[in-house]
Amino acid sequence: MGQFVQFAINGLMSGAIYALIAVGIVSVYKATKVVNFAHGYLIMFGAYFYFTFAVVIPGFEGAPAWLASWQPAWMVEMRAGLSMFSPLGAVLDWVANLPRIVFGLLGAVVCNALLGLLIERSLMRPLMGQSVFAMIMVTVGLISILSGAASLIWTADAAFVPHIAPNTPLRFELFGTMIFLFGADIVNMVIALLIFGGIVAMVKFTKGGVAIRATAEDQSTAYSMGISVPKVFSRAWILASATGAVAGAILATRNGISPSLGLFGFSVLAIVLMGGLDSYVGVLIAAMSVGILEAMTQWKMGGEWAEIVPYVAVLVVIIFRPHGLFGQKEVERI
Amino acid sequence: MTLNRRTFLATGAAATATLGAPMILKAQPAEYVLGASLPLTGPFATAGQLVAPAFALAQKLFNDEGGIAGTPIRFVTEDSGYVPQNTLANYQRALATEGSALVGYFADSTGAMKLIAPELKGENARLMGSTSFASELANPETNPYQYISGPTYQDQFDILLQNIKAAGGSKVAFIYSNTEFGRDPLEHGRAKAAELGIEIVLEEATKPQGADVPTHVTKLAQSGAEHCILQGYVTGVWPQLIGGARQFGLPVQFHGTFWGMEKLIADRITAEAGPFLAGYQGIMPYRYFYDRADAPRYEQYAALSKVMFAGTPLENYMSTWAIQTMCGLELAMKALRDTAQAGLELTADNVAESLSGIENWDSGGFFGGPVSMVNNKIGTGRVYEYSPETKLFTPVSDWLST
Repeated sequence: MGQFVQFAINGLMSGAIYALIAVGIVSVYKATKVVNFAHGYLIMFGAYFYFTFAVVIPGFEGAPAWLASWQPAWMVEMRAGLSMFSPLGAVLDWVANLPRIVFGLLGAVVCNALLGLLIERSLMRPLMGQSVFAMIMVTVGLISILSGAASLIWTADAAFVPHIAPNTPLRFELFGTMIFLFGADIVNMVIALLIFGGIVAMVKFTKGGVAIRATAEDQSTAYSMGISVPKVFSRAWILASATGAVAGAILATRNGISPSLGLFGFSVLAIVLMGGLDSYVGVLIAAMSVGILEAMTQWKMGGEWAEIVPYVAVLVVIIFRPHGLFGQKEVERI
Repeated sequence: MTLNRRTFLATGAAATATLGAPMILKAQPAEYVLGASLPLTGPFATAGQLVAPAFALAQKLFNDEGGIAGTPIRFVTEDSGYVPQNTLANYQRALATEGSALVGYFADSTGAMKLIAPELKGENARLMGSTSFASELANPETNPYQYISGPTYQDQFDILLQNIKAAGGSKVAFIYSNTEFGRDPLEHGRAKAAELGIEIVLEEATKPQGADVPTHVTKLAQSGAEHCILQGYVTGVWPQLIGGARQFGLPVQFHGTFWGMEKLIADRITAEAGPFLAGYQGIMPYRYFYDRADAPRYEQYAALSKVMFAGTPLENYMSTWAIQTMCGLELAMKALRDTAQAGLELTADNVAESLSGIENWDSGGFFGGPVSMVNNKIGTGRVYEYSPETKLFTPVSDWLST
């Protein structure tokens, strides 16, 4: 039982990251009816922006020393004598990195939001009123542009970034089994769920959110009711890009920085289809289910199956519920 | 037309010019071409971009030495994006463009080598090296024109397991990426471990990128492994696995194979995440570039690098990935030069025969001593250990052979 809980928690931690990635795809779809195939590459840009602001800029000669590593006297004193992997040492390492982590996150969110706005203004808005298919094709083309641009700007060099939270190990006994958890993964999960919850609350309770929902229902009617549909488009892309930046930063802390980060978007697309393209709740449930299924399959059947079993489950759900778990059925009248 | 002595000579001269000249041209092109595909984009672009400059260095060095029997060589490199079909297309294009002047090719993955292997027949056959250490390729019966410039992954597992046994290890875990690259030496590793009396307590497959590290570390912790061999990774996953295990205080000794042994990656991890790679060991078929005391060929590379790559990080350090490429090119050049010296045409069959006949080759320091091509591979290597303090991999074993 203890092992079951261990792998279930591991799965929930992965699932929360999937959910954070998926929220961007759902936001853009809800507002514009466009399935953004390039979302994974927006996330990759977010990761590279985090790398730029948390690693590259603090490493410049002119950058203040405290930005690269904050080392007040009291911390140096506390650090002395600690063993290499002591929990307190991990927390102190994180505190030393805190200025650049905050700088990195802020920089990544702002720059990625601007990138989202740029894409919306230059590529999506001119196509407003055209077929949605054309806009989807633009997002497919965007994959090549974004991946090529990232290689040009940052090269393909693999790099590593600081953890967003202290990576202190947590150990406790449950049902006679020692449970191991990474502190950084727990905080990542909490951040992902908070952002997810915030977006859902925003869409449900704020004026801007109502505008997104109204536009999702019917663009023409929303227009006629005085809602600025172009503004809704912009907001959706900014929201997707900004949340994507946080997702990218978290992914980068788990996997390092490389152009292959863009590929994550494709596996999450299947999760979004399972949950329902226009349902935040459905996507959250789907993301958590796939995360847990992956971890359970890894535990019981090994890694050879871990990439297959969860996606077979996705297929089964789509066969029986083509619009996903909580997706809205669309009735087409001819 | 009546045929007299004058018209006979004129017709004969014209016929010789028409029929004979191409034969002469075929035998003696103005330059020989060696093609290459590299992953300059895609998931292994980090490696591809570090390897690419090695071709410029090799071209300069080999031509300064007189090319192949006085004929200069030229390298033609193209991007494959790490897609085997692209490498095949690049090879076919090189064949069509360069014709008989193309005397060798360098592919960038096991997949590409396997895809191209059936194409290497008759006029389309060329000597072919690659970045791969796939065990399946080291078979002159099935792949007479393809070779491995070092030990196969199976050999590398053999050497690591021998070293684990010598250190008193009895329980080992294999963690590998869920790819052909990752799975390559598993079966052989199981047999070798059984032969040495080592128990395999865990075989764990992971995603090649974005692996669920907590889950894998949990399984490793529960397995009770003393040693863990990591296979099938380049820049990602393996550092996170080791970092995770260290955070949990697991006393497991980690071992890597060639692609997980690059100093640049280990240094970057150390700079960003701390000294958790302390004690990490792995197999390296070649000397590291900074270990040049007994490597006169490395000294030549270093002198050229200073000039050709001045002002770049390549000026002082050649990555292990580039060294592997250089070793592959050195072997190809030796086979080509030996063939030319024997007065034979540089056909794939002749060159492949020269290659498989390489014996007691003084590589100039790549390996510990003279080496021979056996089954189109060189089954030797040494175990190194990383120190975050010195930022160097240093040898912890003698040169071991299989």
